[in-house]
Amino acid sequence: MPDRIQKPQPVTPAPGGGGDAPRAPQVDKPNTDELLKRMRKVDPDQAKRYRQRTGQ
Amino acid sequence: MDIQFGIETEIGISREKTEGLDVVAESIALVRSATAPGVRMRWDYSCEDPHCDARGFRVKELLQDTDEANYFAQDAQRTLTFHEIKSDLVLRNGARFYNDHAHPEYCTPECTTLLEILQQDYAGDALLMACAKTLGQKSDNPVLLYKNNTDFRGHSYGCHENYLMPRTVTWDVLSQAIMAFFVSRQIVCGAGKYGWEEEDKFLKPGFQVSQRSDFFSELQSVDTMQRRPIVNTRDEPHANNEKYRRFHVIIGDTNLSLYSNFLKIGTTTLVLQALLNGAPLERVPIVADPLQSLRSISRDSSWQWLCRLANGQKTTAVDIQRTYLQVVREFCPSLTPEWKAVADGWEKVLNDLERDPLSTADRLDWSAKYKLIESFRQSEELEEGDPWLRSLDLAYHLLDRQQGLFYGLMDQGTFKLPYSYLEITGHALCPPSTTRAAVRGRCVEKFGSAVQATQWDYILLHGTHKKIELDLRNLFDPNLVRQSLKIIGNAKCVEDLAQLKFAKIV
Repeated sequence: MPDRIQKPQPVTPAPGGGGDAPRAPQVDKPNTDELLKRMRKVDPDQAKRYRQRTGQ
Repeated sequence: MDIQFGIETEIGISREKTEGLDVVAESIALVRSATAPGVRMRWDYSCEDPHCDARGFRVKELLQDTDEANYFAQDAQRTLTFHEIKSDLVLRNGARFYNDHAHPEYCTPECTTLLEILQQDYAGDALLMACAKTLGQKSDNPVLLYKNNTDFRGHSYGCHENYLMPRTVTWDVLSQAIMAFFVSRQIVCGAGKYGWEEEDKFLKPGFQVSQRSDFFSELQSVDTMQRRPIVNTRDEPHANNEKYRRFHVIIGDTNLSLYSNFLKIGTTTLVLQALLNGAPLERVPIVADPLQSLRSISRDSSWQWLCRLANGQKTTAVDIQRTYLQVVREFCPSLTPEWKAVADGWEKVLNDLERDPLSTADRLDWSAKYKLIESFRQSEELEEGDPWLRSLDLAYHLLDRQQGLFYGLMDQGTFKLPYSYLEITGHALCPPSTTRAAVRGRCVEKFGSAVQATQWDYILLHGTHKKIELDLRNLFDPNLVRQSLKIIGNAKCVEDLAQLKFAKIV
């Protein structure tokens, strides 16, 4: 394969989309309380109920 | 770089209420809920052959073939055709999204830069979240997607990396030279896991740096679902097989941290490039017992990661990685700024892992997860074996911006990013412009209804008067890709694609 000769530019987006637009991280306002709240909301038994089939 | 790369990620799927849950049905429904533009159920399975072995032979069967046959028989009861069960969707960015066994799988298009691979992987996450939302709205039982590798019950699912490279290094040299790298790289790109699995699950609770290291029991083989090997020998290049090989890497964890992903793909590409540039086998470390070291490094709670080499010397995973870094610096002396950033970032992480492993929590998944959950464990006064820890581990991987713990850390600005956030996330479902993925994506976007069959290395389109086959097996020249995009852009009908250099009328 030949070396790349210049930095590639993304092809221009077409209309339509792939879903939710990602949000930028809210770096200006760190909120550890919010994260603690998220953690306390996690069901302690969630992993016990989680079952998958083997993949690759 | 002489290497193109891509990632295939299998996703764990569940619901908030799990009674009677059929994960296969859920996976099929999720993939079929996608509304992103693309071509559905045109993937050509007839030319796939995972039985070809890079050691120079073709195996009669894979260990998973019996299970596959059983699953196929079960799936036959679903009143869906094979293609409906798979529900392949080829997207306009050249990616593939489908139901693989029992997991939604997103395969990025082929990329040549690390920014591209992060953009494409992130686009996949956005697609998956959109599907979960769409499917979840049809009931009062929300869909939960996990970008991880285990259900903590011995079932693993993969995040495979593919490196398309010239077939100039012999398999014997490549497979030996890369072994110690794979054994040790988990300290850089492991995703972290609470607990041990398989036959060791009753031994003790504990934290591991890797999700996947419990699941490998062979040095080399062509298998991917049972008795998984450190080095996978599948020889299916999806390209001109006389010139190229696709090095199929199955041992990595799925990363959420963009920096972990950057280092995983970046350092592996650099090591492969050093081998292509002539780095001899004598320059890389040879581990005495790779399988034993793989597990002991992952489970080492002291984070010293000691390891014995074949020559009897003791070393550490950090020093093994440093040796590979030295080889890269010597055999890839003229790195572009992007690739130099990988080498420099790699060196910094290794120094930090040696000095203070948790100082890497601003870059690496495993240390970020451990730091977060361990501080919670201490504040809540939980025992080390408390089942809540595994649930928090699982929640780290939840693909949900409001509930996932990884995204909670992102919102706090915990993670360093290798590129700006907008650069990474601003190009959803646009293909990398210099690889054949752009040709695939443009054809899907412009002539989707005419696509009769597609694979990584070809597209068959049905025009009004003619069938056109695009042979992508040798399409790796970025100039030719650019010229081809102009022709596709100007084409008014499928027949106009016959002007492409790699087109033939069939």
